[in-house]
Amino acid sequence: MTVSTGIDAPVEETRIALARALRVALVHGREEASRRAVVHLALASGAEIVTRVRATDPRSFVEAAQALRDAKPDVVVIQGGAKDEGALAELLEALRLGCGAQRPMPRVFGLVDTRVAQALRTRASPFEFERFASASEMVEALRQLRRGGNADVVLRDALIEDGARALATTNATTALVVDVTERSTSLVLARPDGRIEAAHLVPLGLGMGADHVVVRASLDNVRRWLPWPIDAPALLERVFNRTRRTGGPATTEAAVLLEMALAREAIAHALRDAADAGLDVAAMRSAPSILITGQAASLPKAGQSLLVLVDGLEPTGVSTVFREPDEGRAERIGMVVSVTTRKSAKIRIVRATGRSVARVVPGSFDLVAMGADVEVAVNGAGVRGHGRSGELGVLIDARGRPLSLPERDAERIPAVARWHAALQAIAEDGSST
Amino acid sequence: MTWRRERWSADHSLPIGVTKRAQVGELVRAGDIVAAGATLAGALRVPGARKLGLSPADLDRELRVPVGSDVVAGAVLARVGRVFARSVTAPIDGRLLHITVDGDLYIAPIVDRWTVRATLDGVVTRSDDAVVDIEGEAWCLQGAAAFGPDAIGEITLGVDRPDADLAPTRIDVRLAGRIIVGGARVSAEVITRAHACGVAGLVAGGVPPAGLRVVYGDTVTAAGAPSRDDRPTVLCLMGFGSAVLPRAVFEPFAVLAGARAAIHTASARLFVFSTADIGRPETPPPDVVVTGEGPAAYAPAGRADADVDEGDGDHEEPAQNDEELTPSASDPTSSER
Repeated sequence: MTVSTGIDAPVEETRIALARALRVALVHGREEASRRAVVHLALASGAEIVTRVRATDPRSFVEAAQALRDAKPDVVVIQGGAKDEGALAELLEALRLGCGAQRPMPRVFGLVDTRVAQALRTRASPFEFERFASASEMVEALRQLRRGGNADVVLRDALIEDGARALATTNATTALVVDVTERSTSLVLARPDGRIEAAHLVPLGLGMGADHVVVRASLDNVRRWLPWPIDAPALLERVFNRTRRTGGPATTEAAVLLEMALAREAIAHALRDAADAGLDVAAMRSAPSILITGQAASLPKAGQSLLVLVDGLEPTGVSTVFREPDEGRAERIGMVVSVTTRKSAKIRIVRATGRSVARVVPGSFDLVAMGADVEVAVNGAGVRGHGRSGELGVLIDARGRPLSLPERDAERIPAVARWHAALQAIAEDGSST
Repeated sequence: MTWRRERWSADHSLPIGVTKRAQVGELVRAGDIVAAGATLAGALRVPGARKLGLSPADLDRELRVPVGSDVVAGAVLARVGRVFARSVTAPIDGRLLHITVDGDLYIAPIVDRWTVRATLDGVVTRSDDAVVDIEGEAWCLQGAAAFGPDAIGEITLGVDRPDADLAPTRIDVRLAGRIIVGGARVSAEVITRAHACGVAGLVAGGVPPAGLRVVYGDTVTAAGAPSRDDRPTVLCLMGFGSAVLPRAVFEPFAVLAGARAAIHTASARLFVFSTADIGRPETPPPDVVVTGEGPAAYAPAGRADADVDEGDGDHEEPAQNDEELTPSASDPTSSER
């Protein structure tokens, strides 16, 4: 994999080795903050959440134990306050009943204060109980398990986080990296001071995780992004068979457009989970620098990557968008100006060679060609910012937020086809098979 | 995907509430009950060690019934003292399920019974409250995904050609208890009709995922949906939709017809117990030989592990595209996903 932090930064060659899927069960206290904390831990560590049990779980003791047994967790992550101690202790009894015979035994990681940890440790026997003082320590421990104890293994998510940090530092702005692969979808927000917020969702992707996108988003929500009519069973068949592909880029336009549809929903659901875990989704949407990586960046045309990003992420500000395929250098592909207006408005576009005015109509979605990668400032209609136009130019997106698509095929398909055409993301005749 | 005759291992996960199970070293045949137990409802927590004035560690010594036993209301569970005896009694009819670290007892009412049957002829290699593993020799086909509970029955060809779809009209109650080979495709109608007629399981090249959703619900994924409840059993050998089985895969079914077989849904495998020579005995590559370490019903670890950088290392060419399916020996199994 090649990773760079922008077109001006040097390219580093990094070898990514195997890492194993880590199954985590989340056990948390009754407070909403506790639930968010454990979800955040799982998302930050790139672990797969196999079950969740709340201290006030309505399931019976036996049902909770059965759920934990069926989940076969590698690690049970526990978080809760002092008043949750009794309920958490009971859930640990359910864990003993459910997973006592599991081999290897699950480990119990607690993000609790020392007194609660002491009480829970005795109840967790015979499982290994480890208390962590901070979330970052536990995330590192979970990642270490994914590495299988091999410190030389570089995890993809760690690499993406490094890339996000570097992009934020280089541009001195908040930066977001959106990574969509065969099996995972990641969102990493980095601030110039080095702080990051990350959500790595597994399994949720375009290949082995494609069926999970459909399960989560529903088939209709994937189908709505396709610029041609397709019946649900045929689409479902394509999605399910994607999970058995052995990799390689999509070769037909239909496959590319299906990947784009899946990627949009994967990103949207990653955002939803990030919001659920208490991450700053508003900052992600308004990040001035956005980098797309993975399979979403490896689509044949830059416009396709850009379209996936604006539809899935729904950016709200002025953003410069980069893309970096797994086997290639980073390139600046365009600038997105998101406009929310109820009536026609004007946007002044200023660049070194002069200035121009773009008329924006509500619902419009147009690419303004700027020439090769120039510095651009925009002002008007509630937006103000600057960036670089990249290869494609400035995309003015006035479709509104949240983005809503017409429900009827007769209205939606032409609209979606028009958006594809605006970014040259589809063949001119719009035909697909 | 090829037929292989070798020594396999299959794990059989057990629900909570096991009463008896086969012991390590025991010889079993596919279809034999290897574990039985009780389905339990909401458990009651009964003070144990505290009530008896014992330390939790000492409670075991004073228990009058072992954990896992059925008890009736009022039965003495533990007792100390002679003249001034103190005892803990069962508040309800049920099962003494669990002892907590504190020395309390969980008693749960029994609402049903369950059994788990072997899916391999062989010997039990592991047996505990969570799983019974069996190792044995059989012909085996590794499928793409399986849905429903394990199934055991006689192999029966439901179609004449590998490219034929199994018609619902071919299914009737005379096929009850059989595993039917359905050719390139089995529809939702076939699946539900087969289940209603008591057919043990269906095997086909492909299954339409829309049909799977009808039968198993909208949360079904391409990884399969092994379960324990009363549902149809379907083994999808090659992919989803319609997939014509290669002759090398289909023709042996004719030779093996009538033989006992089992579908192990957790590993998406079809085991056939026959010594018949099906003409193409495949020598397994070294990496798939069962070593007996862990639940070998899981296919060999491969590239399906998470976080593999797709760009690195040697990969096979894509074996299939969105429109057509081609068997690939390196396809990941459901359990890896």
